[in-house]
Amino acid sequence: MLRTSRQQDQAVSAKRSWNVVVFSVGGKKLAARTEDVGGVSPWIDPVPVPSRTPFVGAMLKREKDVMPVYDLATRLSRELEGDPFLCLVARHVDGPLAICIDGVIPSLHNVDVAHIVPSKRLDLETLGTFTDEGQEIDIVALQRLGRSRQDHLRS
Amino acid sequence: MSLRGHHKVTTAVVQTARLLVVRFGKQWSALPSQGVRGVLTPQEAGRAGRVTFVGVTYEDVDLAGRLGTTLDTSNPDMRVVLYSNGQTHGAVRVEEVIGMIEVERAECRPLPSHFQKEERTWISGTTGYRDHLVLILSPEWVLGELGEVVGSGVSPHAVSVS
Repeated sequence: MLRTSRQQDQAVSAKRSWNVVVFSVGGKKLAARTEDVGGVSPWIDPVPVPSRTPFVGAMLKREKDVMPVYDLATRLSRELEGDPFLCLVARHVDGPLAICIDGVIPSLHNVDVAHIVPSKRLDLETLGTFTDEGQEIDIVALQRLGRSRQDHLRS
Repeated sequence: MSLRGHHKVTTAVVQTARLLVVRFGKQWSALPSQGVRGVLTPQEAGRAGRVTFVGVTYEDVDLAGRLGTTLDTSNPDMRVVLYSNGQTHGAVRVEEVIGMIEVERAECRPLPSHFQKEERTWISGTTGYRDHLVLILSPEWVLGELGEVVGSGVSPHAVSVS
């Protein structure tokens, strides 16, 4: 009974806040839920792949791991900043996906769900937006990146 | 023991794939070896244009352009790969022929499902060789039979073709 009660408390607590990784692309701050991020590492040169899939035109090989690259900077019409860049691995529904981000070490934030509102932007898959130090930060739906769907934050 | 008049048939599953690995800059690509008819030096084949070899004419194939890269014609290792699928014959100028390799089928992976468009018919899959990622190309695409041409400028990190 005690365990059940504690689990319920944890579930409620989990719903009250989200742990997010805040990173930047071309100076624009973005966030992603920590469970959607596979890791952050130094960027390595990708291998170009002829492709007509929007923003997916290269692959990375890191030891035995091979993954496609998603060109988020181009999608956002941004120029990456802070060379050497970093590689953020997204846990996409189709498998790991590498994203080149600014060379600024991402930070971890805990965001109260009550402070997350539906994003106004329609050009990116997001889970919502929160404000940090007066700056609106979109939470990118990394699992659905490139699927061109805008879901609103579920309560 | 088999019944009279019946033939025992043994099905051999091919466990390996033979590929000719070529290079354009940092990009390594592979062609299935069964289509390779010869590898010539630029002196033997000429720097550009179609090539006639043993009575067969091979049309010029701009594979570098299809791959969205450029061919460094000053590279002393440049070679001309004569390639054919029996119907179409192409002369493919490459920066370097890395060599013929034999890879286990299990080491050939399909293109990740993030790639959702025509490129799935252009590239059969990928494999690894000497720590490089190698794109296994479809012979029909290389020879221009799919009627698909992609031309992309690829920058170090701006890597999409939209």
